[in-house]
Amino acid sequence: MIKLNQLTKVYRTDEIESTALNEVSFEIKKGEFVSVMGPSGCGKSTLLNILGLLDKPESGSYQFLGEEVSHLNEKGRSNIRKKNIGFIFQNFNLIDELTVFENIELPLLYNKVPASERKQRVNALIEKIGISHRASHFPQQLSGGQQQRVAVARALITRPPLILADEPTGNLDSSHGNEVMELLCELHEAGTTIVMVTHSPHDASYSERIINLLDGQIVSENKSKLTQAVI
Amino acid sequence: MLKNYIKVAFRSLNKNRIYALINILGLALGLTVTILVFLFIKDETSYEKHWDGYERIYRTGIKADLMGQKMDAPVSPSPMANALRTEFTDVENATRIHTINQEILMRHEQTKVYIQNGVEADSTFFKVFNYEFVHGSPDTALKEENAIVLTEESARKLFGDKNPLGEVVNYDNRRDFIVRGIVKEPQGHAHFQFNMFMAQNTIRNVWMSNNNYTYVKLKEGANFNAFQTEMRRNFMKKIEPDVEQFMKITVEEFMAQGNAFEYQLMPLKDIHLYSQKDWEIQQNGNIIYIYVFIGIALLVILIAGINFMNLSTARSGKRAKEVGVRKVTGASRKMLIIQFLTESVIQSFIALFLAFILVELFLPGFNNIMETNITLFNEYIGKTILFALLVTLVYGLFAGSYPAFFLSAFQPIAVLKGDLTKTKGGALLRKVLVITQFTASTILIIGMIIIFKQISFLHNKDIGFKGDQVIVVPIQTDAMTENFRNYKDVFLKNSNVLSVTRASYYPGDTPNQNQFALEGSEEQLPLWNMEVDYDYFKTLGVELLEGRKFDREKESDSVPYYILNETAVKSFNIENAVGRRIGNMNLDGTAEYGNVIGIVKDFHIEGFNQPIRPMVLAITNNVWFASFKIAKNDMNATIDYIENEWNKLEPSHPFRYTFLDQKFGALLRQQENFGTMFLFLTILAIIISAMGLYGLASYTAEQRTKEIGIRKVLGASVPQIMQMLTKDFIKLVLIANIFAWPITYLLAKNWLTNFSYQIDMPLLPYFFATFLALIIALITVSSQAYLAANSDPVNAIKYE
Repeated sequence: MIKLNQLTKVYRTDEIESTALNEVSFEIKKGEFVSVMGPSGCGKSTLLNILGLLDKPESGSYQFLGEEVSHLNEKGRSNIRKKNIGFIFQNFNLIDELTVFENIELPLLYNKVPASERKQRVNALIEKIGISHRASHFPQQLSGGQQQRVAVARALITRPPLILADEPTGNLDSSHGNEVMELLCELHEAGTTIVMVTHSPHDASYSERIINLLDGQIVSENKSKLTQAVI
Repeated sequence: MLKNYIKVAFRSLNKNRIYALINILGLALGLTVTILVFLFIKDETSYEKHWDGYERIYRTGIKADLMGQKMDAPVSPSPMANALRTEFTDVENATRIHTINQEILMRHEQTKVYIQNGVEADSTFFKVFNYEFVHGSPDTALKEENAIVLTEESARKLFGDKNPLGEVVNYDNRRDFIVRGIVKEPQGHAHFQFNMFMAQNTIRNVWMSNNNYTYVKLKEGANFNAFQTEMRRNFMKKIEPDVEQFMKITVEEFMAQGNAFEYQLMPLKDIHLYSQKDWEIQQNGNIIYIYVFIGIALLVILIAGINFMNLSTARSGKRAKEVGVRKVTGASRKMLIIQFLTESVIQSFIALFLAFILVELFLPGFNNIMETNITLFNEYIGKTILFALLVTLVYGLFAGSYPAFFLSAFQPIAVLKGDLTKTKGGALLRKVLVITQFTASTILIIGMIIIFKQISFLHNKDIGFKGDQVIVVPIQTDAMTENFRNYKDVFLKNSNVLSVTRASYYPGDTPNQNQFALEGSEEQLPLWNMEVDYDYFKTLGVELLEGRKFDREKESDSVPYYILNETAVKSFNIENAVGRRIGNMNLDGTAEYGNVIGIVKDFHIEGFNQPIRPMVLAITNNVWFASFKIAKNDMNATIDYIENEWNKLEPSHPFRYTFLDQKFGALLRQQENFGTMFLFLTILAIIISAMGLYGLASYTAEQRTKEIGIRKVLGASVPQIMQMLTKDFIKLVLIANIFAWPITYLLAKNWLTNFSYQIDMPLLPYFFATFLALIIALITVSSQAYLAANSDPVNAIKYE
């Protein structure tokens, strides 16, 4: 599904150049659950942004679903993004002016799904993540865990083949964090590909594979403990 | 999708109430001004359009340069209308009127009513101006010599509810007319408003004397230019014999001396806005007011629009996250642009709704100041709404476009990470916009002060006479005129009656103009000809410079005596004018010469947009307006005394009087009204600017909360913080003044050329406006700065 080859990203300010990703190459297959780990500033988020087509690489190749996407402009990237990728953020990034229902509904609006189908799909999903009694509340009225579940629901609503999660439990206490991780595991079991950036070895242990980054380079790749244990 | 946009728009407004209020209220005020100006323009440009075929109707006039005296007047000679009717194939009809400047006492049986704005009119009048007849017929109503046509209101005053057709009505105790028609008041505005029409069909075949107004209606499809050329050629031929007899030279020779004379045609529909000449039937409007008001409306809308753009971009940090989220969930840039435009258009339409309410609230005051009678819900309400919708839509799209493009360009990764450094763009543009805004406000402030200075200058200008405590009383009967000099003592018995005189014209009137010649010289000069009685200069407080005043003891009634004003002496270009002899030219080229016995200081008759004309005052007993200078104390008792005595002497006509200074003051009123309106609009503009600045300052303070916190922790004092926050805005205001000064200078210079008497361009208003703008900026900004500077630094640092 994802194939990176010699991917490099350089940030420039007036005088300083810093290499965020240095000739990174790896592959993620359909249905995998991969964690990306590493210390602050190692390039995790840059990697995730490039994978999510929110940012462009400096050089190298990025094939998404067999198609070279590294050269696409914003419009082209936006088209691929809205059909194939769901995002989950550390700080939830819900729109304060929209209700839970409307936040989840948003991607369907942008994908021009008819109203009746939207309603049915959103309601089904809200039911599933257990916040149907909160459907007409605004984000500020929810707990952190509930907000993140809404955010996950919003990422899922278009049934994207790929979910990108950027420290999804970073702002949550451990019990709420676990709820979110279990939700991700369910998704994974249902066949969704997941790439998750995290600091937490605990969270990473839910995934099948861990990519460790340091200073923009992959230092190691290993199966997670959970998977190892299963094997 | 649209539903979603609208929903978010309303929630976002609700969440940011202050900023929504500033935006919406500012725009509502801007739209209010725009709609008012629209209504005003509609009203001012609606003149004459109710007449059938108004585009084909023209008023004739003359334009001349006689011995350096320029003349441009809407008057015409008696035979012109008839010539137009009979000698031109392009003419459908033509008519001639002669206005009566006095109220006339009309009587039917026991009912006596003063009716003003009477007019003598040709029988063709109603063929050119299609009044609607309630009784009678436009074809025949003014055919008979003694026919009179009344408006419904005049008829009601005289006849009550009975049908007056065929009834006899007495005119000023002089003659009887028979009512041959009743017309409705016209539905639209016109440059005249008549209440009764007397038949006048005799023609005095003199082309040199211009005592009428003539209107000509061309046939459909007639070529105006061809007609005008033909008319000039034809009429110059007609006036030729008169000129030769009068001037003793041929027209060619007359022109060769550097004189000019031309017949003019002015489209009827242009009269109200473009004709400000001598001898207008009533004071017309002025296209300049329309230009100025359009300018103000544009400035106010601009200021409100800038508020919107500034506040939206300043708030962009808050919207950035939303933009990021929408983008990662699949929104394209186009969708976001549409969303933000929808928001601004929605705000604009809320403002529009408010604006209509405000217009309805402001209209009575507006009408009061501008002396108009404008309503919002009139026959062109549809156009008004359409116009307002269009302005609102354009405004919403224009003001919304910058924030829309600005916000939609955010990179989602940057904003979602909470890294707002990339969203701080637009700061430069915001500065430019604030400068533009304050430039506009400062222009209005300086302009307003200069307008008021000019008006007060005119008010306090030495007008050359003292019109206070002078009442003017029209004389109504021949007997009263005949014997008035003998009655003067009756009034002077009251010691509060200081002086009594009579004159044919007073300041506020436009006198007759006649050709005068110096004895022994071929040259003639058009002079304003005022006929006066003894004590005229004493009563009006006009100063004698040379020679003597009129004196009953030293003069015989059989010879003319003349007094000139300074300008006339200058125009004749003579020294030792006292003792020279001048004469009023008769049409046959003869003149009866009389001594110039004195020279008076120039005094104003017309308003200040006209220079003082050369004028001659002649003594005569045949004058019809008496005037009394009365003492300040017991004024009412004195006027009662005069009325009482007057009624004994002239019992047939009820006593009427006006104050001279009020009559003259009316000449300035249009300018004063304009100044007052300008003042209100300027205040509005300043309020909108200040609101915008307030919003912007509070956002700046908010944006810099963390910086302020850190500075305070490091030891900055409250005044230091305030200074830091205020300084930037002050700079912008000062830069705005650099732009505003020269622009205003040019505009004001231009406006002042409308007056014959102008103030020297004062510098003080410029400094004052700068000072005022600074004060306004300081107050609005520093209140926000004060709050920010006094906030607890811990909160500020925790902000991130």
